[in-house]
Amino acid sequence: MKGLLLVARREISVRGRSKGYLISLLVSAIAVIVLAFLPKLLGGPDSYTIGVAGSDSAAMSAALKSVKPPSITGDSAAIEVKEYPDAASAQAAVKNGDVDAAVIDASTMITDGGVSTELSLTIDTAYKEVATAKALDAAGLNPAQIAQATAGVAPLKQESVGEDADEASARMGVATILVIFLFFMLMYPVMFVAMGVIEEKSSRIVEILLSTLRPWQLLGGKIIGLGVLGLINVLVLLAAGLGAANASGLMPDLPPGTTAVLMGTLGWWILGYAFFASMAGGLGSLVSRQEDSNSTITPLTMLMVGCYLAALLSASNPKGTLATVLSYIPPFSAMMMPMRSASGSVELWQQLLSAVILAASVVGTLALGARIYRRAVWRMGSRVKLMDALRG
Amino acid sequence: MMEIDGLRKSYGAKVALDGVTFTVRDGEMFGFVGANGAGKTTTMRIAMGVLNADAGEVRFGGHALAFDDRRRFGYMPEERGLYPKMKIGDQVAYFGELHGMTPAAAKSAAASWLERLGLSERAGDHVQDLSLGNQQRVQLAVALVHDPEVLILDEPFSGLDPLAVDTMADVLAERNAAGVPVIFSSHQLDLVERICDSVGIIAAGKMVAVGTVDELRRREGHRILKVEVADAAPGWEQGLPGRVVGTDDDALLIETTDDQAVLKAAMNAGRVGHFGWQEPTLVEIFREAVA
Repeated sequence: MKGLLLVARREISVRGRSKGYLISLLVSAIAVIVLAFLPKLLGGPDSYTIGVAGSDSAAMSAALKSVKPPSITGDSAAIEVKEYPDAASAQAAVKNGDVDAAVIDASTMITDGGVSTELSLTIDTAYKEVATAKALDAAGLNPAQIAQATAGVAPLKQESVGEDADEASARMGVATILVIFLFFMLMYPVMFVAMGVIEEKSSRIVEILLSTLRPWQLLGGKIIGLGVLGLINVLVLLAAGLGAANASGLMPDLPPGTTAVLMGTLGWWILGYAFFASMAGGLGSLVSRQEDSNSTITPLTMLMVGCYLAALLSASNPKGTLATVLSYIPPFSAMMMPMRSASGSVELWQQLLSAVILAASVVGTLALGARIYRRAVWRMGSRVKLMDALRG
Repeated sequence: MMEIDGLRKSYGAKVALDGVTFTVRDGEMFGFVGANGAGKTTTMRIAMGVLNADAGEVRFGGHALAFDDRRRFGYMPEERGLYPKMKIGDQVAYFGELHGMTPAAAKSAAASWLERLGLSERAGDHVQDLSLGNQQRVQLAVALVHDPEVLILDEPFSGLDPLAVDTMADVLAERNAAGVPVIFSSHQLDLVERICDSVGIIAAGKMVAVGTVDELRRREGHRILKVEVADAAPGWEQGLPGRVVGTDDDALLIETTDDQAVLKAAMNAGRVGHFGWQEPTLVEIFREAVA
C-alpha cells in the first residue's frame, strides 16, 4: 500500500507541478467561463433607447415601455424612450446614434441600417398595440372599454406532449457540451498514463522500480496519481462552469436538474477513467520506445474517439435505438449515459444499472491491464505481442 | 552471503544461462567478467528478481531470496534508468522512500550521497540536463541511498572518467568494508584484478572459472617460467625440458613441467638474474578460460 501511495504521490508532485498541466488547467477553466458567458455576450445589449416623434407619440411611448423584449438569457433588456419634437430631429438622432431606432407617427420605424431581431420584435409589438387601440377607437370603443376587454386576455399557455419538449434545445446543448467535456477530460490523463508507462520502460528505470515495487503498485500508483490530477481538473472546470453560469445569469435558463447531471458526470468520469487508464497502462507496457507508442496506443485512441462520436451524434436523438443500446455497453456507456441523462430521457435506475455494468467491466480491464503490464513491462527491445503478454 | 545456485534461462531456443553457480560471502567484492552476451546481465537481473529463472535458485543468508530481501539491495541495471524530468535530489530521495526509508531520512541520505559524489550544486537540476558521467553518479546514489545490504551493479565503471572510477571504487570498497557483499560486472579486467577479492568468469552461460584472483592465478599459472640469465651464451636454452613461448625484455618465457631442470641449466649457462613462475594477468586468465 505504501509503495502504491509513493508512486501516486510522485506522479502528482512531478506532473502536477509541471507547466504543461498548470497551463492547460488555466486555459480550460478560462474556456469554460467564456462558454458560460457566451449567451450573454451574444444576447445583445442590456438596454435600448428608442426615439418617438409625430402623432400618437404619447401612446407609442407608453406601449414601448410596457413591452418586455424577448431574450435568450431570460434577462430582458430595459427600454428607454426619448421624445423628439418632429420627424427630422428623430431621424437625426437615429443617424448620429443617440437612439437605436425611432418611431414616427406610430407607424414608421427609422433605423440606421436595420436593428436586431430583439429590438425589431419589441417595436413591432408596441406598434400593433397602439394600432389596434386606434382601430378599436375608430370602431367606436372608448379606451376604458378597450382596456376592460383586453384585460381578460390571458397570456399564451404552453403545454408539452413530451416531458422535455419545452427544453429540448437547451438540454441538447447541455448534453453536447457534456460529451465534449468528458472526452477531453478522459483523453488527457489516459494518454499521460500510457506515456508515463512507456517513459519508465524506455528509460529502463522500470528495472530499478520493479526490484522494490510490485508491478500492480507501479501501475496502480500511476493510474491513481494521474487520476487525482484529472479529477482536480474536472472539479476545477465544473466549479468554474457552474460559478460562471451563476454569475452570467445563465443558470435559471438551464434545464432543471442540470446541476445534478453535472455532479453525476463526476462518477461517470471516474468509471470511464479507470476503464481507459487500465487499458492504457497494459498497452503502453508492450513497447520499449516512445516511437513505437502509436502502434499500440492507436486502437485505444480510436475506441475513445468512437465512444465520443457515438455519444455526440446521439445528442440530437437521445432516445434512439443506438443511444439506448450503447448506454448500457461499456465503454460506450461512460459517455452515452451521461449524455442521455443530460437530455433528461433516462430514469435513475437505468443510470445505476449502466454504472454497475461499467464498474464490473472496470474490474475486468484492471485485471487484464495489470496482467499485460506484469508480463510485458520488463521485456525490452521490440514490441511485445499482445497475445504473448496475455499468455506469457 | 549470496548464493547463486544452478541458474538456467532460455529465450526460445537460445540458452542464455546453463547452470550458473557461485557464492559471494559477506564483505566480499566479486568481479563478474565475461564476453558480451555471455550471461552476466541475465544473471544479475535474475538475482534482482527483474527476471525469472527457468531453473535454479538465488539464496541470501541461507534462505531463498524473497521480494522483501531485494528491497534492501542496491541495484544498478546495465541500461541506466532515471526519470529524465525529475530533479535529481527528489529522485534519489524518492528511491530511498521506495526502499522503505522515512521521507526525512531519505532526504538527508540523498543530500549526503549527492555531496559525496560531488553533485550537491546540481540537486535541483533535471537528470536530462546532466552529462552522462554525472547521470551515472546519480545512478550510483540511487543504488546506495538506502544503505543496502547487498550491492548488485551491472557495469558500474563503464563511461566514467578516471577520477570518477576512483570515487566509485572507493565507495564500493567502503561498503564492502562494512560487510556488504558487492557483485559487479566489468570489462575493465585490470580494475577487477586490482579491487576484487574474487572473480567469476562466465562464457556462453556457464561459469568457466570462479575463485580468488590468487586461486585463479595458481590454477592457470605455474606453467610458464620467467628466466633471465646474464652473460649466457646464445642458444643455452636448447635441449631444455619444455619450450620457449616468448620473451619479456631480456628474460625468456619457458613453458615447462620440470622447473628444477630448467634452473640447473640456467645456473650452468651464467648468472641467473631472475627465476620464477610467470604470474598471469587476469586478461591472460580470462583469455585462457574462455578459449
